[in-house]
Amino acid sequence: MPSKEPRRVELLQGTLDLIVLRVLATMGPQHAYGIAARLERVAEHPFTLTQGTLYPALVRLEQKGWIKGTWRTTENQREAKYYAITKAGTRALDDQIERWRRLAGLVDKLLLQEPE
Amino acid sequence: MMAALRRFFSRLVNLLRPGRAEDDLSRELAAHIALLEDEFQRRGMTADEARRAARLALGGVEQTKDLHRDERSFAWLDDARRDFLHSARLLRRNPVFALTASLSLALGIGANTAIFTLVNALLLSDPVGVTDPGRLVDIGIGRGDSGFNPASYPTYLDIREHATTLSGVYAYPMFPQAMSLGAGANAASVERIFGQFVTTNYFTLLGAIPAVGRLFGAGDSDQPGASPLVVLGQGFWKRRFSEDPAVVGQVIRLNGQAFTVVGVVPEGFQGTGILAADVWLPLNTVASGNPRDSVLTNRRAGWLVMGGRLKPGVSVAQAAAELDALGWALDREYPDPAGGRGLRLLPSSRVPGNRGVIAAFVALLTVIVSLVLVVACANVASILLARGAARRREIAVRLAIGAGRARLIRQLLTETMTLFLVAGGAGLLLARATTSVLVAWLPSLPFPITVTLALDGRVIAFTTGLSLVAALVFGLAPALQGSKAEVVTALKDDSPGPSGRSRLRNTFVIAQVALSILLVVVGGLLVRALERAGSTDPGFDPHGVQLVSLDLSMAGYTDTTGPHFWRELVEHVRQMPDVQAATVARVLPGGFEGIGLGGVAVPGVAPPAGPAAFGPSWNIVEPGYFATLRIPLIAGRDFSATDRAGAPPVAIVGEGVARRLWPGENPIGRLMSHQVGRNESTLLVVGVVRDLKSSSLVDGLSHSFVYLPLQQHYTSNITSTMTIAARTAQGERIADEIRTLVASMDPTLAIVRSQTLEDSAALGLVPQRVAASLSGSLGIVGLLLAGIGIYGVTAYTVARRIREIGIRIALGAQGTDIVRMVLGQGMSIAGVGAAVGSILAAAASQLLRGFLFGIPPLDPVPFAGAIVLLLAIGLVACCVPARRATKVDPLVALRYE
Repeated sequence: MPSKEPRRVELLQGTLDLIVLRVLATMGPQHAYGIAARLERVAEHPFTLTQGTLYPALVRLEQKGWIKGTWRTTENQREAKYYAITKAGTRALDDQIERWRRLAGLVDKLLLQEPE
Repeated sequence: MMAALRRFFSRLVNLLRPGRAEDDLSRELAAHIALLEDEFQRRGMTADEARRAARLALGGVEQTKDLHRDERSFAWLDDARRDFLHSARLLRRNPVFALTASLSLALGIGANTAIFTLVNALLLSDPVGVTDPGRLVDIGIGRGDSGFNPASYPTYLDIREHATTLSGVYAYPMFPQAMSLGAGANAASVERIFGQFVTTNYFTLLGAIPAVGRLFGAGDSDQPGASPLVVLGQGFWKRRFSEDPAVVGQVIRLNGQAFTVVGVVPEGFQGTGILAADVWLPLNTVASGNPRDSVLTNRRAGWLVMGGRLKPGVSVAQAAAELDALGWALDREYPDPAGGRGLRLLPSSRVPGNRGVIAAFVALLTVIVSLVLVVACANVASILLARGAARRREIAVRLAIGAGRARLIRQLLTETMTLFLVAGGAGLLLARATTSVLVAWLPSLPFPITVTLALDGRVIAFTTGLSLVAALVFGLAPALQGSKAEVVTALKDDSPGPSGRSRLRNTFVIAQVALSILLVVVGGLLVRALERAGSTDPGFDPHGVQLVSLDLSMAGYTDTTGPHFWRELVEHVRQMPDVQAATVARVLPGGFEGIGLGGVAVPGVAPPAGPAAFGPSWNIVEPGYFATLRIPLIAGRDFSATDRAGAPPVAIVGEGVARRLWPGENPIGRLMSHQVGRNESTLLVVGVVRDLKSSSLVDGLSHSFVYLPLQQHYTSNITSTMTIAARTAQGERIADEIRTLVASMDPTLAIVRSQTLEDSAALGLVPQRVAASLSGSLGIVGLLLAGIGIYGVTAYTVARRIREIGIRIALGAQGTDIVRMVLGQGMSIAGVGAAVGSILAAAASQLLRGFLFGIPPLDPVPFAGAIVLLLAIGLVACCVPARRATKVDPLVALRYE
């Protein structure tokens, strides 16, 4: 239950798209479970990512044409929907990274400034 | 941008095809769980443990699906779609409810749509083929109400010269004129058509584009008789010339005169008004017979409606102020004995100068039809309430498993809206039928009218909007009530629901009864007034008199040949078989028309105060008028052959005029001064006749006339259009015989119209007749609906109290006691409704006083009639439930729950 773990990190609105795109760009096609598992492994703190937010993000990205889902079988002979990043998705990822860097840079600068 | 667009379309696709994405998601989530299970098993859990842990780790599957749904589609729209399908299923499952409810609503909505179609055509829609009609204005002579009267040609010229806020001023006669179209010398093919005279700047100012050739323009002379040109109307061009563009340059003969065709107006063009014309002629060709100048120089003859286009940047108010000042200046320069009334400028309207009158009448109709809609809505709302009661269990279950109240209200409202939209669609069809009946009535009017009673976008938007608003207003209360089910009690048993529901329902039924009573009483009062108008002695006998009107104005008659022609025609008509008496008159009683010829006074007697002379109604007639119309001659004599031009001018007066000028004295042989403008002449009174009673819409006062002999008062501008009146022995219609006779005397003459005096006199009552039949018939529909309402309430109560009734019967109550109990309940609702309705009707009848011709507003007959009708319907409505109540078997009833 989320409320029992007080130090969870809330995802910034809109960053989930960037994260999902980045995961798919670096790891190649993944199913939803794989993406979730990967994020949990990378995260040093546990963070709020229920399937309730991941699935809507996937459908949103797919509808935008940035990722594409296809049904395949896993190594364990299970069927799963694998999502792969598209060309448009790669371009969008570059955009998003650029935007994120600018935002992060601004926030960093503000945090480093001495109080007047 | 592209991505957003793609997303929008795929959401749309998912909205329309919700099944596929849903299946896909379920499959994906199942796969997710399977993968988790594998993972947990790998970590050493048993299969069962792994399955549970996997489900826990994934979280709420249904919640995820909901979020997914919101993301991939337009959730609210999707909900609405599902609510709509659900409602449609529910309605299909209750066809009786769906049919009765939508039928009664369709009646209400249809009646409103029909009236709105009329409003749209008369007051809202823009004229066709006119550029920027919003900048056009209508101008006329001010009168008591908000409208105006037509002006004279000299007044028009003054306005055209002096108005600086208008880029131009045009003028045209109030009504198109009936003319005979002769194809060359071939007299056998005379056709009656309608011609509209317009000033030559008319088309330019309206910004009309010709379909063929040209329209009148700056190059055409405005000098009297200088431009014998004609522009054809589209309908006439198609009918007569098969759309041949080579018609330009051809010559057609109208009333025996040659006119050159210069062009054709654009499709649908009929000026700014609703009167239809076959051809358009320059105003200067009017009355080209001798003396052609009189109608164009007489400042007192008001016959022109004027209009203009505002200069850029000028507001209607500025132009109105200028015209007002100009009007008073003209009144000072040319004083009118009846007192000047200034000029009035109004935004252009389809019914120039009479927008206010039409709007008031349409408002009355609108009130009537809105009441019917409210009755129908109240009926449906009370049925919805009852259904809400029956669905308490279903709704409680929904609430118990977590449906939000807002969501439930939305769903219940969607059901209502579905119903109302179905009814709105049916209402549109109904309105279509109704308006075609309306269109079928139009030809009975004396001039051609083209009103496009089309169901255009505005009408459809109105109906849809009306349906939705009504659904919202009348669906909200039942929806709020319905969604309030208390879960525990509703699920536990079927005991009586919250009492607020039945109170609300009783209120709806009472409102329905009250409004229906109001409608029936108003309808009844108007019917009584019509009866009174029909039965009161109008002072003449309208039965069995044939009327045929002719127009000599363009057929080349002079002041000497004109009167001679009329005299000769009457002689011929008198000799026709079946004709008992015949005459020629300028106006006939009961219709719309009237003429003003100035005031009368006693010579040498200074009037006490107020206007110098008093203005009676006027008529110009041939001998035999009083005998033909059976107007009793009280004293003196009728006109005779000796009252001809050159002989001493004579007059016959009505009793009222005699009383006013010579109270208590014998008027025969007295002299009366007749003042027209600055001219004064003296008339010798030779006879006194009974006054007429007007039965028209305007008032119920007696009309006191002064009659002048045609042979002494023939002037082409006033007496060119006259009506032959012939009384036949058995009321035979002899219009065709008279037509043949006229054709044999002068083949170029066209019959303007022919009708019976009865029909002509009834024309003034058309508004009352329409209002009476509308409110009466709709009121009875309302009462029937109220009956259904009473039935519903009573049946529902009986069903709810079945256990109590069972106990009463078990304890020895008689059938009559039970019947009394059920009837008492139903009839008390009817009684309260009737009381409220009667009070409303009494208030309404005070407002309608002007329409009632002396019928007392509290006339007991309509009130008693409506109440008796309601009680009868109420009794019938209560009978079935009452019978069912007496048939209750106590054993069954007690085991019932």
